[in-house]
Amino acid sequence: MAYRDNDKYADVPQELKQKLFDEVKADERYDDYLYGCYECGICVSACPSARFYDYSPRVIAQTMAREDLNRFYEILADDIWNCAQCFSCVRCPRQNNPGGLVTLIREVAVRNGLKETREVLQGYSRVIYKVMLKGNQVSPDMLRPDFFPDWGPWVQEFSANMREWRLAIPTDTLRGVTDAAWKTDPKTLRELYYIWYSTGNLELIQEVDPGLHGLIAEVVEEELAETEWAD
Amino acid sequence: MSSHRVLIIGGGPAGLTAARHVSDLGFHATLIEKQAQLGGTPIASHYAALTHGFRDAEDAFRDLIHQVTDDKQIDVRLNSRVVGCEGRVGNFNVHVANGAGAETLDAGAIIVATGFEHFDPARETQIYNYYTYPDVITLADMELMLKSKTVTRRSNGALPERVCFIQCVGSRDRQIGNEYCSKVCCGVASKQAIEIKQLVPTAKLFIFYIDMRMYGYWENEIYWPAQEKYKVNYIKGIVTEVIQKGDKLLVRGEDTTMGRPMEVTMDLVVLSVGMEPSAGTKEIAHALQLKQNKYGFIEVPHESLDPTVTSTPGIFVAGAAAGPKDLDDTMSMAGLAALRAMAAVRGAN
Repeated sequence: MAYRDNDKYADVPQELKQKLFDEVKADERYDDYLYGCYECGICVSACPSARFYDYSPRVIAQTMAREDLNRFYEILADDIWNCAQCFSCVRCPRQNNPGGLVTLIREVAVRNGLKETREVLQGYSRVIYKVMLKGNQVSPDMLRPDFFPDWGPWVQEFSANMREWRLAIPTDTLRGVTDAAWKTDPKTLRELYYIWYSTGNLELIQEVDPGLHGLIAEVVEEELAETEWAD
Repeated sequence: MSSHRVLIIGGGPAGLTAARHVSDLGFHATLIEKQAQLGGTPIASHYAALTHGFRDAEDAFRDLIHQVTDDKQIDVRLNSRVVGCEGRVGNFNVHVANGAGAETLDAGAIIVATGFEHFDPARETQIYNYYTYPDVITLADMELMLKSKTVTRRSNGALPERVCFIQCVGSRDRQIGNEYCSKVCCGVASKQAIEIKQLVPTAKLFIFYIDMRMYGYWENEIYWPAQEKYKVNYIKGIVTEVIQKGDKLLVRGEDTTMGRPMEVTMDLVVLSVGMEPSAGTKEIAHALQLKQNKYGFIEVPHESLDPTVTSTPGIFVAGAAAGPKDLDDTMSMAGLAALRAMAAVRGAN
């Protein structure tokens, strides 16, 4: 399809757009994720992201069906990161799975280490770092009173006396812990390392943030070396 | 003197079916057809596969035609036209003209089954250039190609890479005067798209529509496979203009659900022309003094509950003479018209 409008990524070669598009369609899950689209908008009405962002799961499905390479590249570079992967969209009467399409497109974006993807994911490096080393993604010490004014004035008091507040929690995994949401059992953490390691997550991180990858890979390999999964 | 005959005007799907049912139930029928052959529009316009079920149209109607022509209780008059009529239910005198002259036939009841004709794109208010560009064709033109199993561009004989259908040509348009939906074109276009894809697997297919109206099983039998298996692109938005660009046709419209104007080149553009009353339907309405609706179809005063009853007692209507119909409805209506006609004959005698 060709449209009479501005292509935001006109500088990206058509061949690359086509290659990435074909890569998404070649995924063996693709045919189960997109049958045909009525363009009825049920997925959009169900989508929490669509209420707050300029984001439409319907447009994702339509763009793939129309083989609209320019719009596809915009989705690949921008739109997919507005999806929370909650899969409310799967109530589709044709049994399409727009959220699943987003999963596939994300994987292609990351696997190909696109410039736009690296930029988008930069802010997440810290989250990945936390998840991978602590087992959960948001910790009290990540709170910054000036980051989230909507949390109200109380966050100032909490930030200033974080350790005291946490010491007051009568649960072993939480008491006094400020660098993780809760303390993760080392065995659980090693199991997570093994899952991430063997499912290719470390390679994905390497594509978007080589520095972070170096840091994490070292810890992961060291930890796994002492387990039954050493090799 | 009263007559037990049922006179049926029109030898298409509705007329043939009505004649067969009249005879099945023991009555005599006279079938008047102005053409030299039976079968009506599906045969005269070289339909390929029937939209419901994909059965070959010629095969399907050959059986029906033989049932009628082999039946001693049915008097088939080809090359004949009804030019006038007197009398009333139970005792009509119908004037029929043919090459040899004119005669008057008796009938207790009459069934009008004079059908429709395809909308002529010359009257289209958009700029589709049907009579200018050889690669702009109609559904009927495409049926002929499909019947010969050869879908090519008329301009250069090449296989088409991109083919689009434009829906609602001559239908649902106040400017043209046809506000109604022609009912079958969504199904026919989707059926043709599947057939084209089967013949030319490399072709990309598009259907530009206002709403897709795929009643009942047309949905799962035609629409879904067209979209899911044959990858036909359904785009909500009607094309306003088709113009030549090099040796391609540039199609201009809006992709409404994607929210932007659209320009696409095509190799073949198929206009999904709708139904209008046939010349025969209008002639017969005049000859029998039947009321017509504002579009020229035979008026059916109580369509929902009594779909074959016209403004004149003893005269019934079946099929697309009463307005756009698919074959399923046409056949059902023909059976009902036969029944109503026979009941009228018996009641009047």
